[in-house]
Amino acid sequence: MNQLSRRNVLKAGLSSLALGSLLAQDGILRADHAQEWSPPTGQPHFAPKAKSVIWLFMNGGVSHMESFDPKPELTKYGGKSIAETPHKDVQNPEKLKLARVTVINDANGQQRNKLYPLQVGFKKYGEAGIEMSDWVPHMGGCVDDLAIIRSMYTTDDNHGAQTQFHSGRHMLDGEYPTLGGWVHYGLGSLNDNLPQFISMGKREYWNAKDGHYLGPAHDAIPIRVDPANPLDFGKPAKNLTAAEQQIGFDLVGKLNQLKAEEYPNDPALSARIKAYELAYRMQTSVPETLDLNRETAATQQMYGINEAATKDFGLQMLAARRFVERGVRFIQVQHGAGGAGVWDAHGGLKANHSKNFLAVDKPIAGLLKDLKQRGLLESTLVVFASEFGRTPGTQGADGRDHHIYGFSVWMAGGGLKGGVVHGVTDEIGFHAVENRHYVTDIHATIMQQLGLDSRRLEIPGRKRLDIDHGKPIKEIIA
Amino acid sequence: MARCNFHCWLVLLLVASAAAAQDGVFTANDYAARIKPVLKERCFACHGALKQEASLRLDTAALIAKGGDSGGAIKANDPAGSLLLTKITATDDAERMPPEGEPLKPAEIAAIRAWIAAGAKGPENEQAERDPGEHWAFKAPVKAVLPVVKNEAWSKNPIDAFIAADHEKQKLTPQKPADKRLWLRRVSLDLVGLPPTVDEMNAFLADDAANAYDKVVDRLLDSPQYGERWGRHFMDIYRYSDWWGLGAEVRNSQKHIWHWRDWIIESLNADKPYDQMIRESLAADELYPNDLDKLRGSGFLARQYFKFNRTSWLDETVEHTGKAFLGLTFNCAKCHDHKYDPFSQVEYYQMRAIFEPYQVRTDVVGEELDFEKNGLPRPFDCNLDTPTFLHIRGDDRNPDKAKMIEPKPPAFLAFEPFAIETVLLPLESYQPGLREHVIAAHQKSADKVAALARDALTAAQKKHAEATEEQKAKTQLELTIAEKSLAVTEASAAAVAARLAADRIKYATTISDEAKSFFTAAALAEKTVAAKKAEEEVARAELALHLAAADKKADPEKKLAAAKMAVETATKNVAMPGETYTSLVGALKTLENNLESDASRRKPFPTTSTGRRTALAKWITDPRHPLTARVVVNHVWNRHFGKALVPTVFDFGRKGTPPTHPELLDWLAVELRENNWSLKHIHRLICTSQTYRLSSSNAGANAETLATDPDNKFYWRANPRRMEAQLVRDSLLHLAGELELKMGGPSIPVADQNSKRRSLYFVHSHNEHQQFLSIFDDANVLECYRRSESIVPQQALALENSPLATAMAAKIAGRISSANPQANDEDFVRAAFLNVLATEPTKPEIDLILSALTQLTEIATQKKTPNAAAQARMQIVHALLNHNDFVTIR
Repeated sequence: MNQLSRRNVLKAGLSSLALGSLLAQDGILRADHAQEWSPPTGQPHFAPKAKSVIWLFMNGGVSHMESFDPKPELTKYGGKSIAETPHKDVQNPEKLKLARVTVINDANGQQRNKLYPLQVGFKKYGEAGIEMSDWVPHMGGCVDDLAIIRSMYTTDDNHGAQTQFHSGRHMLDGEYPTLGGWVHYGLGSLNDNLPQFISMGKREYWNAKDGHYLGPAHDAIPIRVDPANPLDFGKPAKNLTAAEQQIGFDLVGKLNQLKAEEYPNDPALSARIKAYELAYRMQTSVPETLDLNRETAATQQMYGINEAATKDFGLQMLAARRFVERGVRFIQVQHGAGGAGVWDAHGGLKANHSKNFLAVDKPIAGLLKDLKQRGLLESTLVVFASEFGRTPGTQGADGRDHHIYGFSVWMAGGGLKGGVVHGVTDEIGFHAVENRHYVTDIHATIMQQLGLDSRRLEIPGRKRLDIDHGKPIKEIIA
Repeated sequence: MARCNFHCWLVLLLVASAAAAQDGVFTANDYAARIKPVLKERCFACHGALKQEASLRLDTAALIAKGGDSGGAIKANDPAGSLLLTKITATDDAERMPPEGEPLKPAEIAAIRAWIAAGAKGPENEQAERDPGEHWAFKAPVKAVLPVVKNEAWSKNPIDAFIAADHEKQKLTPQKPADKRLWLRRVSLDLVGLPPTVDEMNAFLADDAANAYDKVVDRLLDSPQYGERWGRHFMDIYRYSDWWGLGAEVRNSQKHIWHWRDWIIESLNADKPYDQMIRESLAADELYPNDLDKLRGSGFLARQYFKFNRTSWLDETVEHTGKAFLGLTFNCAKCHDHKYDPFSQVEYYQMRAIFEPYQVRTDVVGEELDFEKNGLPRPFDCNLDTPTFLHIRGDDRNPDKAKMIEPKPPAFLAFEPFAIETVLLPLESYQPGLREHVIAAHQKSADKVAALARDALTAAQKKHAEATEEQKAKTQLELTIAEKSLAVTEASAAAVAARLAADRIKYATTISDEAKSFFTAAALAEKTVAAKKAEEEVARAELALHLAAADKKADPEKKLAAAKMAVETATKNVAMPGETYTSLVGALKTLENNLESDASRRKPFPTTSTGRRTALAKWITDPRHPLTARVVVNHVWNRHFGKALVPTVFDFGRKGTPPTHPELLDWLAVELRENNWSLKHIHRLICTSQTYRLSSSNAGANAETLATDPDNKFYWRANPRRMEAQLVRDSLLHLAGELELKMGGPSIPVADQNSKRRSLYFVHSHNEHQQFLSIFDDANVLECYRRSESIVPQQALALENSPLATAMAAKIAGRISSANPQANDEDFVRAAFLNVLATEPTKPEIDLILSALTQLTEIATQKKTPNAAAQARMQIVHALLNHNDFVTIR
């Protein structure tokens, strides 16, 4: 809405509620805290730009310097200790105070003093001419649709930061709802035949749930890209024909309806009838969505499904698109969870990252292109992230340690700008130095695009801090 | 920039129009709606009843005008001259108010400006915040006089009297009592967590005695399954967790913490007074240092163990001691003074200081000396002199070392000086190797090893005797090993005796020269074991050399030489044994953190305990304590009625929700205390009340009742509740006749799909959850003062498709058929309804099911399924398991 029409709206005497929503779009006005709490209606608080989110999370920590924020200075000073280079001030203790030490004398998450040269080349991609590494050529091909944020930081240098990236809080702070949980809590359904919040890929135990104090109803439903066994308890334990199962489900539905006459206005009973119906439909809608054979060979190739290295992640990406298409609200895809996460290259960074990028680069690019060609990218926000970056210095002979002071995340679609870089790290990729963003700023940006005000979702007795809410990154919003 | 200016203008316009009323006058209502809530949220904590920084209070318009040390906070009609506005708009962080958090929002500031400009009026008779000490929960409960009610049936039980008095006042008509069978199902699920059998239903239906209901309640309270059912509730409240970690390394909670679970169950079954349960939870190690049964109760503290961060560990200990026993949110005062309740950040660290010395150790249980296999995890005061410091802004990297914090509870709840007395521990508690059962275990273990060695020697002798000539060289060497090995075990047994004798002298008397000879003997015995062991190693090395191929002898030769050297050293040690020996091990300390060494964890245990936790337990269980009894009766009430009297079950402070029935809550709290803290007494009162007996249906309620109290705030009907996860699984097994009622013992692995035991025995920890239970909102191990009751499609899928539900449906159907062999379809439907839902089906229900049964039988027949009719019946039972009223406590 341009300024002029906004003025007209004002003149026309819009109700204060609608006006508030209008303003809140720009993050100017916050919900009035004094008003009585009521649970969310399922409607956005203001006009949304995006409908769905695909959240791609690389477990273990991706080297930002060797992906989306190349730093030739590393190669220039490779093998030198940071103190010997013009960049020695990065280790000024004042600048390192960000780190919260939870594990004393941890083997990892330490300062690494000797700079490690870039392990891969880089070049400019796209019309925007943005530098990215040679490990991500396919994502590079999509760079004009990406908003790369090179100035992320977090506070915890161990893998508990994985929960921090999802909920804003480190695992030691307790269990807090993840972004997906909040979105599911705040927004209603786009398709009554499918769950609105799903996850794909293994999740490590400390990062396995989403709803927490919002309740397990807001946990993602785990989905496997396996049409034969796509969801837990997804098909009968014994051989039943579809007709038999239908009779059983119909009977339960009708018996519950009869019970509702005996127990009128029992909200739990009505909710259970609905949940039961959705369960029945999920048994067919989920396998139908996962029937990837319905896609053309060309589409499958775009996702790399025909190649061994990219097949697994490609299947998940293609499934993600099919879920988005059918109106699933939030799709969380975890790559390489388990232990610390596959990206955790304390040693052998080159072998590790080249292999992992090979597995995800083409499938992710395939997803972006496919969403775009189908007109879905406008309403779908895709995020690529990991819990932190990796140290400019070397760990052991050929690895990089966890790095919290500066790293990269990118977002695409959903009303965001493409072909932009936001924020800067210093010349060796150590500190985010301009437009710094804590992890919850990513959450706030997504909430903003979905038309949600996280403060209005807050529930009594669960006061969230300002840092939990984060601030939308306005500069990347189109 | 133009854009920004535009927005600012817009904000001002909006605020001006919303803040000022139509005629440009800012009314008292506007103040109440727009100003006071902001001040309450952001300012009252320091400028209100709780604290009056700079002598300033902002909780009424008059007090704002009056101001504090710097004079009036506002000048009516003069925003620019008002200090309040200057402070909230200051750009200098040091100057700006509020000092913590974000500045007030532009709209809030604009509203305050507009209010001042309009004259800064407040409502007439505006009340200041009350003194926090006057808060209801901080004053001791007293029993109110029981109300007199018209309905005689409701006047016998005090609970009913309080509830009926409200009904009369509000002109509410309670619903009829639930059907007898449904009441029986309700009370059975509530008290023992299992649905009634058909036989139990029939017996109850046939019992016309006046006390028929009372007899059922007594029977259930006497059942051992009561302790399991309510044990799980208290496991929620006490946040029970099995241990978790990496491989064998413990990171959180403790191995064998299940002893604590069994203590909870047994204590409830024995109706141990609740105050006694609290004492054992917090201080059994000081109060009953050698009573292993009672020590299990202190698992509450062992569970808090967290290897990686002592502050997190103690934070959780303080937080959950506060929440579980007192309904207080101590944790809110970790970084700053509490914003709502009258306790300071210093007092938070005073609470921490009470726990500061404690660590965790595992005591030998029975004859098991391997701490990986069994043992009793329990707290003990280890670091008696570790100081506690306040962490500035809650940052553990920034302790305020200028001032040592004293251990004591918050002053506002102190009714007498907090008297801490050092506890002199009995010998066997700090030297548990001297416990009789531990001595016996060591002796038995040594004897057992020696017996095995003897058998091995016999076998080796036999083998040697039967060996061919070319085998003899090898069997001779094996025989030597067996002989040496036996010598080691015999020496070990002798060493146990010598160490024991030395320990007895060492800990019983002042150390004389004569005592020293015992130490020397023990040291000698241990050195002898080492020497024998070294000789055994030589024998083994010789065998290895013998077996090595001719061209691969170099390495074993080297090893043999080293082994011989070791014998020399060991022999020298025997010649000079010294006086140092290893005491018999009766307990092992859990590593304090990832830095503690093995030697440090094996240091002797302190002979005293600080007594801090005993004093804490005494304070919490003091009859004058206003919170303890209220908190627990509230938990009990919540689990019988699906609604708590104080909805914020872990926060009875000023931020919590006030009780819906304050007199009833207080009456129950005092009643508990006056009846020796008997929880069973409270259950009995509740379960035999008319209130508890009401139907959960709205049907037939009169219009006035529905209009006055649609949410059932006044208990004119029962609240239907969803079964907790454990009840769903246990009920499936129980109805099928498959439930195994064995009690207690080590937790069952979550992967064990075949276990038929009650669900509370599954491993339950931060990283292990039983899949079926998780789907039904199993307890969160970090904090679970109330279970959530979600309704999600996965639950339907689990009941529809899980192997468990499918198998149990078949068993239940089979049981119904064998109990009613002649049953026609309609009889079967009736029996299935009674079994699964504890209610008679209506005619329309029967018709629906019969029609489904016909269709299912037809399909099964077409499929040529053997026993088509039985198959169809089984599916009917399975459908009933998915009925809303199966997972519902009606």
